[in-house]
Amino acid sequence: MHTLRAERLTKRYRRRAALVDCDLAVPSGHIVGLVGPNGAGKSTLLQLACGLIAPTSGTLEVLGARPAAGAAHLGRVGFVAQDTPVYPSFSVADHLRMGAWLNPAWDAALAERRIAEVGLDPAQKAGRLSGGQRAQLALTIAAAKRPELLIFDEPAAALDPLARDAFLRSLVGFVGELGASAVLSSHLLGDVEQVCDYLIVLGAGRVQVAGPVRQLLADHRYTTLEQLVLAYMSGAVAR
Amino acid sequence: MIRMSLRQFRLSALAGAVLLTLATVYLLRLGGATHAARLPADHHQTMLFLAGGSGLVPAFIGAFWGAPLIARELETGTHRLVWNQSVPRRRWLAVKLAVVGLASMAAAGLLSAALTWAATPVDQATGDRFSTVMFGARGIAPIGYAAFGFVLGAVTGLLLRRTLATMALVFLAVIAVQVAVPNLLRPHYLPPERATVAMTADAINRARMLGGITGGPIIGGLEMPDAWITSTSRLRTADGRVLSDAAFDTCFSHAPQTGATGTFGDIAVCLGRLDLHVDLAYQPNRRFWPFQWIELALYLGAAALLVAVGRWRIRRGTFS
Repeated sequence: MHTLRAERLTKRYRRRAALVDCDLAVPSGHIVGLVGPNGAGKSTLLQLACGLIAPTSGTLEVLGARPAAGAAHLGRVGFVAQDTPVYPSFSVADHLRMGAWLNPAWDAALAERRIAEVGLDPAQKAGRLSGGQRAQLALTIAAAKRPELLIFDEPAAALDPLARDAFLRSLVGFVGELGASAVLSSHLLGDVEQVCDYLIVLGAGRVQVAGPVRQLLADHRYTTLEQLVLAYMSGAVAR
Repeated sequence: MIRMSLRQFRLSALAGAVLLTLATVYLLRLGGATHAARLPADHHQTMLFLAGGSGLVPAFIGAFWGAPLIARELETGTHRLVWNQSVPRRRWLAVKLAVVGLASMAAAGLLSAALTWAATPVDQATGDRFSTVMFGARGIAPIGYAAFGFVLGAVTGLLLRRTLATMALVFLAVIAVQVAVPNLLRPHYLPPERATVAMTADAINRARMLGGITGGPIIGGLEMPDAWITSTSRLRTADGRVLSDAAFDTCFSHAPQTGATGTFGDIAVCLGRLDLHVDLAYQPNRRFWPFQWIELALYLGAAALLVAVGRWRIRRGTFS
């Protein structure tokens, strides 16, 4: 089964085309890095994948079904949105309660253990958490419903280096513990290099290249991910 | 999802409950006074004032319970959190609307019950509960107003995605509807009955208003026992024609002095001699409850239409 499978996927906002004729077939079991310059369509692709927006044309399947196809499918995909929104007036514990109310497969033990591990006070109001703590909370909520796929839209972009490192380690920990796949967009190549084993490079609304990191590096005789990505990005710009 | 909706509603529900309790206590005390009063009609002014106040209840419900319900989620981005739990968006919308909508209807129903009870002796004394102003502050119609105001707020918030703008807009829109419906729609729920009433000097003196701003032969504020007058023709002469402006003006500005008393004095005497009449359309008071049910159905129907708009919008909209 494929984590993501797109055929001629296109999304236009009024005048601007955010994604044009994207074809993708990402096998499951990977941590996928989605990279590209600002405005390349990374957020659009991930919002399509969790059903927040609908494609203009073409198809996208997530875990073999239309995104957000129903309660059961929603339960199989965990999504951490950009800027990791939480309810400011809810405490950390309220958020875990919300997760339990809204997800049949909620793993309360996992959620509580992780909250304790990252040092969050359950009584703390979410509106008073730091950016890093909020991201950890959002990650815990997404993971404790035990999804098969975790999607992250620029999760660490606004975090300081220390918080970012802690967040990425939590992310990898969750993915390992759940046996899930993950897709993570970022414009920070270092993050991608650190955690991803599969790469999608988007540029100007199109897929520039996609494949397992190791294979891409071998095929193109680049030694680092950065060289590879920059080569494709500059190619995209020149086109 | 029900528990989630209740948890999110907690603070505004508490604020609403405090106000509701204060209002109910006041109405119960007022009811004690009206039921004990020797002349309940003395409380008529209070009842007019309360009818105006109860007209604001659905506007407040729409602005404070309805408008933020969805607009705030879209504004702060929390829809991206909650829509990715295992609850489809349309169910999320349905439960939120049901929980807070039922609370709105219950609150309005309770207020209306208390006010209707407190007003009963006054209504019996004045026969006034079917009038344009009082009708909406009695019986079951306020439940419909509350449902409509709430859903209008929630769905407008879904369309505008701005909490404050939605609150202001919905507050004004609900008041506009509350003014428009009694004057434009309600008179036509059932075909009115008609009557011709002779305008003797006595009859003219019982009117509340004579002469229009432009000086035409207009009379207003007539009363009819056990009926709500929905339209009043101009003053007509015996042959059925509208009294000429000149003839009306002669009496209005140059009536011969007779020393008559009454609201309009010599003017009434002068007009009374012209053998005038008016044609009235009216709804008899026995239609009060049919009209209550029709009005409730109308507002619930409008609320249901708005819910359909919301369901369509949340399915088709782009919410990045």
